[in-house]
Amino acid sequence: MRRDHTAEAASPAAATFLSRRGFLGAVGGGLAATTLAACGSGGGSTGSSSEIVFMNQSRGQAAALGQLARKYTQQTGVKIKIDDVGPADFLTKLQSSSQSRNMPDIYSAMDSFSMAPYYKAGWAMDLTDRLKGAWGDTFRPATIKASTFEADNSQGVKPGIYSAHWESPAMGLFVNAAMFKAAGLDPDRPPATMSEFIEQLRKIKKSGKDPIWFAASLSNQLIQSYASNYFTDEELNATFTGKAGWKSEGWRKTFQLLVDLRDAGVISTGSLPSGNSDNPNVEKAFFNTRSVAAIYDGTSAVGVARATAPDFTDFRSFPVPKADDGTQTPRMVGGTAKGAAVNPRSKNADEALKFVRWLTDPAQQTAFAKEVPLIPSAQAVPTENIPRQLTGIAAKISDVQLVANQMNQQVITALQKGAEAIVLKERSVDEVLGDLDTAQRRA
Amino acid sequence: MRHRNRMLAAGVFLAPALAMIAVFTVIPFVQGILLSFQSWDGVSPDTPFVGLDNFRWVMDDAEFWGSMKNAVVFGAVGLVVANAVSMVMALAVHHARRGSAFFRTVYYLPGVFSTVVVGVMFSWFLDPKIGIVNQALKTLGLDGLTHNWLGDPKTAVIAVAAVFVWYHWGFGFILFLAGRQDVPGELYEAASLDGARSWAQFRYVTWPGMSHVTGIVSVLTLLSGLQIFGTVQVLTNGGPAGHTSVPTLHIYQQAFQFNEYGRAAAMSVIFGACLVALACVQLWVSRRLGGSTNSRTEKGR
Repeated sequence: MRRDHTAEAASPAAATFLSRRGFLGAVGGGLAATTLAACGSGGGSTGSSSEIVFMNQSRGQAAALGQLARKYTQQTGVKIKIDDVGPADFLTKLQSSSQSRNMPDIYSAMDSFSMAPYYKAGWAMDLTDRLKGAWGDTFRPATIKASTFEADNSQGVKPGIYSAHWESPAMGLFVNAAMFKAAGLDPDRPPATMSEFIEQLRKIKKSGKDPIWFAASLSNQLIQSYASNYFTDEELNATFTGKAGWKSEGWRKTFQLLVDLRDAGVISTGSLPSGNSDNPNVEKAFFNTRSVAAIYDGTSAVGVARATAPDFTDFRSFPVPKADDGTQTPRMVGGTAKGAAVNPRSKNADEALKFVRWLTDPAQQTAFAKEVPLIPSAQAVPTENIPRQLTGIAAKISDVQLVANQMNQQVITALQKGAEAIVLKERSVDEVLGDLDTAQRRA
Repeated sequence: MRHRNRMLAAGVFLAPALAMIAVFTVIPFVQGILLSFQSWDGVSPDTPFVGLDNFRWVMDDAEFWGSMKNAVVFGAVGLVVANAVSMVMALAVHHARRGSAFFRTVYYLPGVFSTVVVGVMFSWFLDPKIGIVNQALKTLGLDGLTHNWLGDPKTAVIAVAAVFVWYHWGFGFILFLAGRQDVPGELYEAASLDGARSWAQFRYVTWPGMSHVTGIVSVLTLLSGLQIFGTVQVLTNGGPAGHTSVPTLHIYQQAFQFNEYGRAAAMSVIFGACLVALACVQLWVSRRLGGSTNSRTEKGR
């Protein structure tokens, strides 16, 4: 690292006579100082001591969050600034903030893989001890379990809980009730098994409607949901951490689902959409143009429907039906969704934590649930606040997977690609399982 | 002394620009190369050196090299198809007696949009259910030709390449049009007197006269084709099943999805070196072609 000797001459006013060389030095020094200042190495929070900054990732919950923040300010006098970054820019902005050591006091907590680098770098308060008391008792056990980093987790994060969540999401199937009725089916009676569901989809096809569609980017979650018919959570964890291989009978049977859907000819357009907006396109086909009878999606889809197709409410949800030959009780992929992490290096860390605690309180979660269609993480929120379209999934919200580690991103990408290849008849199940083993090994 | 003063003055005026280039181009470039020898998750302050591990990993990465093949396809499309289309359009507009201003505007318009806007727009056009392309075919009674353009591996690469050509033809068109207008009219008169018809005039007058423009446009469209990213990400994200994956997208995934910045930097270094080498070859070929045709033109004069 070269030392900058021009810094002292950087103030022309200090010199009685400034030579050209001195002037050039001053210009260079000024530029260097500006550059270094831009890459400041402060201790890290964007907020002033009188204002708490919350960097928010969610667009759908932004309005509700803003309302609650204003309510908190009225109650306590503590000013909360919600920085609505949005989903597209959130991780980029968070990364920039961490590199410039200028992190917000509170920030949205997303999936464990995306957040692990921040937790490892010490940008999130460990809430384990704080959640042991009354605060922790307000949450569904699954929410606490899903947000816990166990010992020897695959992300290399120090064991603990680094985020608090006000949403218990789950992935499931959404069906257009009118289309099901038109095909002589009862949308209020979920199919008992996967073969029965595929039979229903065949009937939908005969009625002239497109049966089912799901995005390539959600295929890993569909597969993980269905895998719970053949694996315990511990066995799933063993696969995700690389302790067990993908080439096993359970995974073969799991991926056979894609083959069965393909061979039944019930996948809309005969392929899984990809692209940057693959799932929004699927949601558009279901909620807006209503050109498909069933989709696989998360509970957050109801919020999308409310925002983009408020007049369409005649749809139902239910978990992925159980496999005919399953050995386990099927469990949905879910756990945690919208939540927050507190920056322990912030000057306002204690106040920020108080706000997060207040935000996850059942009273505030009830307000959230009224504004945004979601399944709250607080056990005490009355069920009448859960929208009718989510009751099918909400009824089984206790049956969510509690896998200590998630698939790593490399495996997820390989799985999504493999799912597309199976549907396109380009690769066999065994070949895709081989690809997953390779991706796991090379990660 | 005066020369020294002038140099100093020049230095003062150049300093801000040089500083900006250093801060925003040179330093990141060097840091990128340095990062290719390190392991970094994008957040941690620890960036341990791992020697050539990242490069070894990239060498064994079949997907990266597979995506390189697609880059070559898009590069070739950019070099041949996009240039041919824009040159034909430029020559047509140059000869147009009416409406040349209108056509200049219309042909250049696609290049004004951002790649993301173009990607989103064409993802709607090519949507298998509600896309305007399939709807138009149905309206014309050509239901048999409706297709899942982006979902079928046989048509996905072609669809993305077509969008790329549409987006880039305006740039080449404007340069070719300017190049064509620089070719002296006397040469055509002389060629006509010698009995040269349209093709011969193009072959021996227009083409050599536009060789410098062709060289520049070829290099730029080739590099654009090789570096295609936004359009692919929005339209297909490399799908279906990796058939439209390109190196830039693969690099992006390694860095921003897998948090493997060292590997992504190693890929960038390899890919960047390939681009520099290709650009050098392309320029050399252009110069050779330009030089030989120019000398032929000179003889003709």
